[in-house]
Amino acid sequence: MSPTADILFWMVMAVTIASAALVVVAKKILHAAFALSICFLGVAAIYVFLHADFIAAVQLIVYVGGIIVLIMFAVMFSSHTQEAGGEGGRKVLALGAGAATAAMLFTAIMLIISRLQQPLHEANAFATQAYQHTAGITGQDLAAETPRLGLGHILMGEYMLPFEVASILVLAALVGAVVIVRKETRG
Amino acid sequence: MDAFANLPVLADSLLGGGPDNLFNYLLLAGILFALGVFAMISRRNAVGILMGVELILNASGINFVAFSRFNGHHLEGQVFALFIIVLAAAEAAVALALVLAVFQTHRSIELDQVDEMKL
Repeated sequence: MSPTADILFWMVMAVTIASAALVVVAKKILHAAFALSICFLGVAAIYVFLHADFIAAVQLIVYVGGIIVLIMFAVMFSSHTQEAGGEGGRKVLALGAGAATAAMLFTAIMLIISRLQQPLHEANAFATQAYQHTAGITGQDLAAETPRLGLGHILMGEYMLPFEVASILVLAALVGAVVIVRKETRG
Repeated sequence: MDAFANLPVLADSLLGGGPDNLFNYLLLAGILFALGVFAMISRRNAVGILMGVELILNASGINFVAFSRFNGHHLEGQVFALFIIVLAAAEAAVALALVLAVFQTHRSIELDQVDEMKL
């Protein structure tokens, strides 16, 4: 990557992590929702850095365009209930338990990653090689070779059944969501 | 713990070739996952817990795409990331419907006030 892309990558990573931290620590739940949308934008940018442009577009449409709107709706709907400040002891306990569990799991993940040292080097060498392989190709060729086409073929071929099952699942989930909300308003 | 001790060395050696390497993506996904777990455990607001779940799902998606890219540009990882996004959308729809249903009966979405089924 060029030096500009390097700087951009670090900026995206910093913004993503900072906004994710804000999601966790924000006092008002609405601020957390806004921070979450910034975090989703950052993850979409990370997908672009990973050469997964279609996933990045889906991330933008589904998360930033859909899930954030749903979350905002739920927050607005119940916004007059402030984050209850009472029972300070339990709050500290919850924060401590959360921090301890998160730190433990993060340590475990970093331990596993550090065990991966050899495969990591091989993977990076492989990716660099693949990148250099595409270095001489013009933009038009790259557009023709981009993974989007292969993704469509794979989704309509090898992963046809999971794809259809997922569509039925989404339909069932949406119908179920409507039923859950309606049940209380009827009586 | 000796494997853990050489983590800075590992990061340094990998960063020699610029930031676009597997370690950085795994680190980012690990941080997002840990923050999501933190939010899930420490928040009492139901929507806040849902946000933690979304952070964890995003972390797993990054992991899938990163491993598929650094494993010879196979597309299976991207397919799995797509399915994760679809499942996250379905899960968010159902969870927010539940949140609204709880709010209609309890006038609150603080989950420690929803304890009728606790013995």
